[in-house]
Amino acid sequence: MTAGVNLACENTGPVLFRAQGLCKNFGGVRAVRDISFAVAPGMVFAVIGPNGAGKSTLINLMSGICQPDAGTMSLDGVDLIGMSAQRRVRHGLARTFQKIRLFKQLSALENVIAGYHTRHAIPVWQYVFHGAAFREDARRCGDEAIALLNFVGLSHRAHITAGALAYGEQRLLEIARALATAPRLLMIDEPAAGLNPTEVAALLRRIAGLRDRGLTVLLVEHNMDLVMNVADRILVMDYGQQLFAGAPADVQAHPDVIAAYLGANVL
Amino acid sequence: MLSVILQQGINGIVVGGLYVLVALGLTLIYGVLVQINFAHADFVTLGAFAAYFVAQLLSGNYFVGIAVALIVGGVLGWLINAAIFAPLRQRGSELLPLIATIGVSIMLQNAMLLLFGPIPYAFNTPYSSKVIHIGSLFFTLQNLLIILVSTTTIALLYAFMKFTFLGKALRAVSQDHETAALMGINPNFLIMLTFIIASALAGMSGALLGPVLVLTPFAGTSVIVKAFAIVIIGGFGNVEGTIIAGLIVGLIESYTTQFLDPGLIDIVVFALLLIMLAVRPTGLIAEKRAENV
Amino acid sequence: MSDLLRIKSSRPAPAQRFITSRRLCFLVAAITIALLPLVFPSSYWRTNLIVCAINVLLTIGLDFVLGYAGQLNLGQSAFYGIGAYASTLLIMKLAVPFWVAFAVAVLISGIAGALLSLLAVRLRGHYLAIASLGFAVITYQILLNWISLTQGPLGIYAIAPPPPIRLPWLPAIVFTNLTNLFYLIAGFALLVYLILDQLVRSPIGETLTAIREDELSAASLGIDAPKWKAFAFAVSSAVAGAAGCFYASFVGTLVPDSFFITESFSMLAMVIVGGMGTLIGPVFGAICLTILPELLRGIGDLRLIVYGAAVTLVVLFMPGGLVQAIRIMAHHVFAAGAKFEARL
Repeated sequence: MTAGVNLACENTGPVLFRAQGLCKNFGGVRAVRDISFAVAPGMVFAVIGPNGAGKSTLINLMSGICQPDAGTMSLDGVDLIGMSAQRRVRHGLARTFQKIRLFKQLSALENVIAGYHTRHAIPVWQYVFHGAAFREDARRCGDEAIALLNFVGLSHRAHITAGALAYGEQRLLEIARALATAPRLLMIDEPAAGLNPTEVAALLRRIAGLRDRGLTVLLVEHNMDLVMNVADRILVMDYGQQLFAGAPADVQAHPDVIAAYLGANVL
Repeated sequence: MLSVILQQGINGIVVGGLYVLVALGLTLIYGVLVQINFAHADFVTLGAFAAYFVAQLLSGNYFVGIAVALIVGGVLGWLINAAIFAPLRQRGSELLPLIATIGVSIMLQNAMLLLFGPIPYAFNTPYSSKVIHIGSLFFTLQNLLIILVSTTTIALLYAFMKFTFLGKALRAVSQDHETAALMGINPNFLIMLTFIIASALAGMSGALLGPVLVLTPFAGTSVIVKAFAIVIIGGFGNVEGTIIAGLIVGLIESYTTQFLDPGLIDIVVFALLLIMLAVRPTGLIAEKRAENV
Repeated sequence: MSDLLRIKSSRPAPAQRFITSRRLCFLVAAITIALLPLVFPSSYWRTNLIVCAINVLLTIGLDFVLGYAGQLNLGQSAFYGIGAYASTLLIMKLAVPFWVAFAVAVLISGIAGALLSLLAVRLRGHYLAIASLGFAVITYQILLNWISLTQGPLGIYAIAPPPPIRLPWLPAIVFTNLTNLFYLIAGFALLVYLILDQLVRSPIGETLTAIREDELSAASLGIDAPKWKAFAFAVSSAVAGAAGCFYASFVGTLVPDSFFITESFSMLAMVIVGGMGTLIGPVFGAICLTILPELLRGIGDLRLIVYGAAVTLVVLFMPGGLVQAIRIMAHHVFAAGAKFEARL
């Protein structure tokens, strides 16, 4: 029922990421059923839905942590099916995790530098004989990493081990680390979980800032109100299915969405 | 020819059944904690020595020896959990507990070497010398005893895991510690219980293996390397897979003994392990353990 | 965990890295190596020094894969053995020159390590540990049973030391001389240390630690964990192969028992006691655990019990090993000094 609506809206204009008919089952549970959507470059695309709607599975499918049972995905025309998670990063996909997965024993700065993995420009022999190119690369990565930490407001914590950072700081650090891979599409999984309202507001401002710099963001969130102001398009999921897709204003008014959320809230 | 095949089949099941007992302990612990107790082998050896000293020196009977070995194993299991796995759990490292138990294993082996010496002990039970003939087949009463005890234990354990509340709770813990805690089950208690059961099994299999093996302080090592192979072939944490793989390894071993040097058996078993890792890394019976991301 | 307990210290900013403190350390190390045989003139102690140097090689190799990439390689004894037997057999059966045989043996060990890691690559750390243990058992059994090639338990005898190095205008450097052999092996160990140190200070350090800390997360940054694990395994086993080659030419006889899996455990003990995840830790560990039993000759039988206990206790109470202990002591001394100064 919704597919027609989507295609009508999204076939116009350029598309960065496109998914068609994605399905994923775990045992008998159909975590994702026939999800199709397209993300235009430079927008904040939000995926919302009650807990257990299949949002995290969707992001895992997109980032390559698991492969779909059916369906197609492409990033800027490049087919992603069967491609490993690490290859997808080179094509411009980056993500954060719902359960924070930083390298806890590394410092904040080192975490971000680890994100530069695919972007070093060092001749192989200079890994052993550190020469000019090596130092230039180290300087560039260091500067950029500090700039990224600055962007998320953590530059004063650069040398603290990631595990010792506050929860909210860890979330921000994960975003900075993902940004270090120079993504074209950044997927942020439940960024507001565990943050206080002030932190959430600051985070949303930063996400809007990323969009303003031309980055495409896919935001997975269960709290609908949070994404209303920042998202350009919203996909609503429930029980692994697509409930509705459209502009924020339309989503809020849609009866199915209200029912799903009210139902979830009542339960 | 047929009788040789049958004869070796029986021997294979005898050895395989014991391997299953040892491997089940490893797999139970892995199932609950995703950790490996490297000293498990030495619990087997200590069980064998305990049974030996009870049975031979204190002129008790062999069954008392088996019971003592069971208790010794259980106590060791409790100890290693309390001393190593429980304190290291908070650190959440995958390798530290394994390394710590390697240390324990080195300590135990060399302590036994100091106490018992390197010369093999002749562990004769009243049943090792009684031979039963059926047609052209023969096996000792000891073999029959081993088959009986290991089958009964495996069946009991299986029934415990499948049908009792505690067994179900154990499986719940192995799926997800948080869920288990929500169900009102104390995961720490269950982990301790698993260690006790697993190590008691190791101790008991030591008592049964003692008369079959060359009983030295290093006896457990030769068993444990095969037990590792078995749990990997069967799929770590998978009880059914472990049982099947244990019997397969026992049979392979007894059939290859016919044709190959005993030293080569290890090569065959581990070649199988490496092939298995390359071809079917989830083990014989695949069990999806999706990581919660 | 307090900052002191951290295993990996944060990397200094690039500008500071060029400053000479590290170069100074290497200079001191080189001078120490040069002086050691003069301080210990007896051939007994010089022999021990060589054993130390070989163990240092083995442990820094092991630590590269264990402490940095977080993969437990229990097959180090096998790679050690492969290096020893491969070079010896090449020299004795095919009359290959020593240094060519050395290079080939290192290459073979390295490739074996990479292949083993790729075989078990889809699995988590434990499987790799068990697979490498299995590999060590298989290798030992092959050395023991392939009698036509290795002479099995009888062993290979009369292995020549490395050939003399002839430089113009200087007398030939012969390696029948223990001092020269020590310089050769210790110099090589220092070189390997330097290379590994450069590697872990490059972005490869972060890549490997990222894999150690969280493989899935590393993949989300584009890190191809299987490839890098194979790389770390290859480096580690190649270094062990080199150590094996030196061992054979030093001892002069080869028996499979020198490469039994307990050797892997001894190396593990040295790395753990010294402090894994640092390169200097395993050096301390190797030296301590080699020299201590020699000093305490009486404990002969207790040696391995002590190793075992040390591993367990260090893991439980001081996971950073000797390096961590030194850091804590330095911290206390520094704090006391600061207090003293404050009082003045």
